[in-house]
Amino acid sequence: MTTAAAATDSPTPVAPDITENNLQPFFVLHQASSQKSNKKSSRTAKTRRRIDLSPSLTKSVENLEVEKADEGVDHGYVNKRMEAFESVWSKMESTIKDVLRNLNIGVFNEIQRWVHESFNTIKSFGTPSFPEATQPFPVVKDATSKQVFTGLVLTKNMEFVDDLLTFEELGLHLKSQGYHVANLSSLDFSVKNGIGGCLRSLLRQLVMVTLDAHDISVLATWYREQGNCNNPVVIIIDDLERCCGKVLSDFIIMLSEWVFKIPVILIMGVATTLDALRNTLPSNVLHHLCPCKFILGSPSERMDAIVKAVLVKQCSGFRIGHKVAVFMRNYFVSQDGTITSFIRALKIACAQHFSMEPLSFILLRFLLEEDSQVLQGENYGLPPEVLLERAFDLPSYRNKIAERNFDTLFHGLSELKKLQNQWSTVLLCMHEAGKCDKIQLLDLFCEALDPESGILRVSDTRKGLQKDSTVSPSNKDMHKKYASLQKGGFICQAIRKVRDLPAMQLCTLLKGWEKHTVDIPEIHDKVKELLSLVKFEDSKSLKRDLIEMSKRPASWSHLNLEKDSKAASEKAARLAEFMVGKYMQPLECIAFHEVVCFKNVDKLQAALIGDPRRRIQVDLLEFHNIIQCSCCRRHGNTLLPSMHDSSIMHTLAQEHGDLINLHDWYQSFKMVILSSSDKGKHRLKHSPSPKKRKVTTEPAKLSEAAIQARFCKAVTELQITGIIRMPSKRRPDYAQRVVLGL
Amino acid sequence: MYGFGSKKALIESFASTALAEYPVVVINGYLQSINLKQVMTALAEVWWDQLKTRQRTSSRILQKVQQPFNSRSVDDLLAFLDKSEAEENDSFICVVVHNIDGPGLRDSESQQYLARIASCSNIRTIATVDHVNAPLLWDKKMVHTQFNWYWYHVPTYAPYKVEGIFFPLILAHSNTSQSAKTAAIVLQSLTPNAQSVFKILAEYQRSHPEEEGMPFDNLYTISRERFLVSSQVTLNSHLTEFKDHELVKTRRRSDGQDCLYIPLTNDSLEKLLSEINQ
Repeated sequence: MTTAAAATDSPTPVAPDITENNLQPFFVLHQASSQKSNKKSSRTAKTRRRIDLSPSLTKSVENLEVEKADEGVDHGYVNKRMEAFESVWSKMESTIKDVLRNLNIGVFNEIQRWVHESFNTIKSFGTPSFPEATQPFPVVKDATSKQVFTGLVLTKNMEFVDDLLTFEELGLHLKSQGYHVANLSSLDFSVKNGIGGCLRSLLRQLVMVTLDAHDISVLATWYREQGNCNNPVVIIIDDLERCCGKVLSDFIIMLSEWVFKIPVILIMGVATTLDALRNTLPSNVLHHLCPCKFILGSPSERMDAIVKAVLVKQCSGFRIGHKVAVFMRNYFVSQDGTITSFIRALKIACAQHFSMEPLSFILLRFLLEEDSQVLQGENYGLPPEVLLERAFDLPSYRNKIAERNFDTLFHGLSELKKLQNQWSTVLLCMHEAGKCDKIQLLDLFCEALDPESGILRVSDTRKGLQKDSTVSPSNKDMHKKYASLQKGGFICQAIRKVRDLPAMQLCTLLKGWEKHTVDIPEIHDKVKELLSLVKFEDSKSLKRDLIEMSKRPASWSHLNLEKDSKAASEKAARLAEFMVGKYMQPLECIAFHEVVCFKNVDKLQAALIGDPRRRIQVDLLEFHNIIQCSCCRRHGNTLLPSMHDSSIMHTLAQEHGDLINLHDWYQSFKMVILSSSDKGKHRLKHSPSPKKRKVTTEPAKLSEAAIQARFCKAVTELQITGIIRMPSKRRPDYAQRVVLGL
Repeated sequence: MYGFGSKKALIESFASTALAEYPVVVINGYLQSINLKQVMTALAEVWWDQLKTRQRTSSRILQKVQQPFNSRSVDDLLAFLDKSEAEENDSFICVVVHNIDGPGLRDSESQQYLARIASCSNIRTIATVDHVNAPLLWDKKMVHTQFNWYWYHVPTYAPYKVEGIFFPLILAHSNTSQSAKTAAIVLQSLTPNAQSVFKILAEYQRSHPEEEGMPFDNLYTISRERFLVSSQVTLNSHLTEFKDHELVKTRRRSDGQDCLYIPLTNDSLEKLLSEINQ
């Protein structure tokens, strides 16, 4: 293969069609231009500066006009908003990292203590003497000294992606204690690389060398010098089950032989159960392991923690709409299953929000700084009158009476923030209740965001539920007013659970509610009242039990006790219903929510999940939706000669099974190409569509060779897309359809 | 970027205009084989040049490179490309991959290398896919943490001129034989020495039409005489390359000796020779 061609000097904006470059495996298109503008560069190393595109570049036609209208004003300010995005996202990202770190810290400390103890045990076998230490082969004292201490970290998660970060963090945590740590992945234990692969990676990380000959004795020499021998060597393998068993076995046997000279402690991630160890390694290897089990938090705990910290609490102010939340939840539950993808989807949603919504910068300035003056200061390029016009034209703002000025806007945004805080509080209380029934916060979150049930809740509330709501309304009222709750949703389920709680758990629940509702005095007081009631009941019944145990039958006092706690639970349930009814107003029902809330689920889905299998076929079959040609609009589904050859071929292929007779296919294609009624000719002449690729020639003049050439080209194109496969030697006259239908 | 139609011109136009500030390296994934180690070496050299250019404008002293890039291991190259400089870093290399799902890149090792390249902090990647099953190439680690794909649907309906070069035409010759045109294109991508070795074989085949092929020893002798190869190993590597591209095949002669032949007719061979000589 030739090496890359020399860099071209000219940065002229010409679409290059240089034949030599097309056949090079790779080439340098251009070096960075020397006229670097002195733009103010962002502070963080992870900056992604938005490229400033001029409107003249090609865009997808279907979006062109819509986008031009919307972005005509603010395409230059998108860059500035993307800086705001960087700040918002870095806050969210650091929150997520902190949450995950806190979840793991308990286990990490446990592992660290165990490593310390194991190292002490290894040291107690003795240290090698000077001659022993300098020999390039292992030293074995006795059978027990050949044991490798192995920590098995149960991740309870088939998705190893989510735990990559966990093991990285574990490595950092152990390094901070002074241990020598190497992180190996299952790729280092592949059949192809063999034991050399893992040794190479080990030596790179610990000894910082890359050698041609990877040998464990190098590690032994390194360990004995420079005072490295005061700390153990910890090797973390992130996913046991993906490693090749043979290579891992050889590695463990080798470590066990050298463990006297190199005190190695192994930590392995296990996704399923500990039986996986038995399945992966033979029994003679298992004898060398001295295992100890550790259990990480489950994926659902992690998801709950992230949703709570980033989406429910006011971490950055950025919010997602109901449809977006439902999509993200479904994508996580039924499609991808990784928390990593959930976080990625959130990031894309955030980026798209800042990219599309001109007022999104307010999110950063106002919600974090709470300063009304900020709205009149730097507006990220928007003139004040445009800002006000845009804000008051938002669909969520329906008040036609109030004056359109900055004070009204500020007031509206404050109200939004206050209502959101209240919504968060009530949701956290429901989560506390739902924990008893293992209801996921993400499910509660999606349900609580639903604007339709929210409208019902809010309108019912306005009908006059401001009275003392610990006193229950009549049953009939309850049915009417809380119809949305009766649907059997998660919130309803959580409240039902509250009703069934025994006294102890009810007490714990109320304490949790007391903590959360500090900002809502009305609820806070009621919770305190209920809590004291429950405690009083509890102590009363305890006293009663003590005094009257001898007098009354046991069952009677038990009944009384139950009756008392039932009443308290009932009151708690009604309080929950009240909270939900009055304070849980979904974001999409509040004015100005578009500033902080991303709702464009289609755009998110398109960016997150490419669906080429479906999309490319749709491109071929329904091209008229994209090209917007006038000929096909009028004719619906009939095949016209003006269509793209590959579209014609693909449509014709649908009529066949999985094998297409080439001859028939060719004849059908020819018929379509040559089909020209008078109407057709007339239409071709008057077709004004500029998007048609083909030069409109008189169909009758096409030669057989030209038709064959077009047929061949179309087949090649369908091959490139993977829709058909070329004829095999067995069936030289048939092409095979590989993709059958959408 | 996915969607029906060639996106090659679109992306290169984008790269030439909007990405003029950054060095851009293009990988033609539609070719039949690509040596990604060489790509990484080129990327490291481009990045090194970039750092040197910035060094002139900043006061930082750059470490002297001890070892030339083409002798470094893959891990070293990737570590170099991933190292983020201490000072603020708003520069990066853009890697444009045409047809990341192309036949030459579909093996898992290539995709792992591409994923590791894409995950380097100093590299940004744009790629096009045309195959409906392209997502099958990547596991979740590659999709979410390394490549971190953002999908754009970009149907251009532009003809697949370059990408379809290596696909044999369905109504033309049978699959087993290589047409002269394709062979010429492949040869053009080889080194001049390799082309000359091929010419020797072609000339022999043309001048000895009754023979079944050229013996290996003959080829080696003539190549050595013309200073095209220095050892059998070099000649073997050329022949392996020819065989990979199906330009040359071996068969056993009637006397039991292995010989090499080009699976083309004499006419195609003439045409091929004339095209190479241009």
